[in-house]
Amino acid sequence: MKLWITWGLVLMTSLLPAGLMASNEAPTADQETRTQPIDQLQLSEAVICETLEAFKPLNSSVVFSVTMGSVMCFTAFNHIPEQTSIFHDWIRRDKLVFRKKLLLKTPRWASVSSIQLREADIGAWRVEVRDADGNLLRTLRFSITD
Amino acid sequence: MPLFIEKLLAVIRWQDVLDILLNSYILFRLYIILRGTRLFIIVVIIFLLLIIQQIIATSSMILTHAVLQGIAALTAIGVLIVFRYEIRGIFQTKNLKDLLWHVSTKPVITPVEIIAGSVYHLARKKIGALIVLPGRQPVDAALQNSVSWNGQVSREMIESIFWPGNPVHDGAAVIQGDQINRVAAILPLTERTNLPMRFGTRHRAAIGLTERSDALVLIVSEERGEVTIAHMGHIETVKNASSLETRLRQHTGMFGASPQRTSNERRSAAFAFLLSLIVVSSVWYSYSLGFVRGLTTVEVPIEYVKRDSQMEIIESSSTSVRIQLSGSLQLISRLDPNQIKVRFDLSKAVAGRNSITITEDNIILPPGASLKKVEPSSINIMVDTLGQKRLPVQVDWTGVLPPGILVQDIQLDPAAVEVIGGQLLLTEMDTIYTAKVPVDGLKQSGNLRAALALVPASLRLAPGQETSIRINFKVRPRQLVVSP
Repeated sequence: MKLWITWGLVLMTSLLPAGLMASNEAPTADQETRTQPIDQLQLSEAVICETLEAFKPLNSSVVFSVTMGSVMCFTAFNHIPEQTSIFHDWIRRDKLVFRKKLLLKTPRWASVSSIQLREADIGAWRVEVRDADGNLLRTLRFSITD
Repeated sequence: MPLFIEKLLAVIRWQDVLDILLNSYILFRLYIILRGTRLFIIVVIIFLLLIIQQIIATSSMILTHAVLQGIAALTAIGVLIVFRYEIRGIFQTKNLKDLLWHVSTKPVITPVEIIAGSVYHLARKKIGALIVLPGRQPVDAALQNSVSWNGQVSREMIESIFWPGNPVHDGAAVIQGDQINRVAAILPLTERTNLPMRFGTRHRAAIGLTERSDALVLIVSEERGEVTIAHMGHIETVKNASSLETRLRQHTGMFGASPQRTSNERRSAAFAFLLSLIVVSSVWYSYSLGFVRGLTTVEVPIEYVKRDSQMEIIESSSTSVRIQLSGSLQLISRLDPNQIKVRFDLSKAVAGRNSITITEDNIILPPGASLKKVEPSSINIMVDTLGQKRLPVQVDWTGVLPPGILVQDIQLDPAAVEVIGGQLLLTEMDTIYTAKVPVDGLKQSGNLRAALALVPASLRLAPGQETSIRINFKVRPRQLVVSP
């Protein structure tokens, strides 16, 4: 029951035009990824950020203060062969807290999910980005601090 | 072999044997010293009271137990007060060797022929006389104003003591063995009112003493010249010296052949010692194995045996159990908790959750102890087989970032580590975290080291893995968020 109190999840499923997605940074330690065939769904960017500005992630980081009120998971895809869906699994300390299904449209698409933060959310987190079949595309690790 | 003998042999120690023998001998000596006295009966009554009190104590009859305890204590104090002269007499008349070793009670022969002859000689001359021959009970406490004499018994001595011109002739003479110990002794008078008129003060005194002790008193009447004896409050006239000798021999215990008497005494003493041994052994058995029982509760750690080397207990609902035991007071008082084991055979345990009910088969108790209660009655354990897994490392940041700073990027070395732990546990684990890493001081890019937090404790790093990782981090200024 604590979850629905803690998790006033606000989701934004953004239909972001592909041309507006500029970031193509290489994944780092907090961004584990899987190689994907070129004709398949390609995850071009995935970050945890404070907010969006002009449809781009702003202040992406691995440490967020709980005083921010919310954090977002931004994912952008290329080579989307057909309309499909992906999942953002928000996990705190190996425990799945929330799973959000997001729609992807051809040929490129970006989607965002976010969570509202509470004091009890302080700790280590990760977001697992999975395709429609549940295959892990990337893991984004971050911490919520004071 | 009967069960109780098996139990006895299992628990008895050399100290217990010595304990029984020592106390048996003490009881035997008490019997030897006190036999034939009124004190003996009282001591037996106190002993019986104590036994009844112990039986009642086990029956949880609190009030009766308290009352009996009081009665036994009061009786013991009463005995000391009422029988103080007898108790003093025992220690005065016996030396240490008599108290600890001697069995025979008649080492000195009383010259009954001389006494009988003297008495009848005095009777013929109508010279009054009063002679006391104590039995087993001391008479000192009943005598008044006596004069110490300590002379060898002889006809002349007796006749001279009671010669009317002798200053000490008017009291009683006390003969102990072959010695006249005291003379001119004033005896307590009887309070009986139904005595014949012919009995004067001398007879009344004789009866009075025999009412209070087991002494035999000879009376020579100066008016009638007759000899009477008083014993146990009764009085009778003795016709001749021969009859008197017989009575005196009976009283002094010298009747019959001496070797026969010695043999009887030895047999009697052996029987008394055997009886003491049986009584003490019974009491010891009652305390150590028998009906006087106690309760105790012991916290015992659980031991798991026959565990597969690849199997690990990763969780247990309890690491120890509380065992309530009952057993003899002796056993309970010297109980060593290490004697109690709680063991579970894990040869049939399967990976996952196992519920084990604690039965008597799981508990090893010292001989003589019996199980009353076990808490908890069952144990839940999570058993897992050991496995190895490579887990990515995640930094567990904490604290407050300096204002205007973002930790944009981090690189970990190593980024993942091999850990060993239960298969079930590893299945549920996807990440290994570092210990808390404070962010408060991160003002510029750099690196730091952080230890790995191995949680739960059953988790361990594979050989060759470092216990800490290096964190290279990049910080940058935080962009201002423009509100829409």
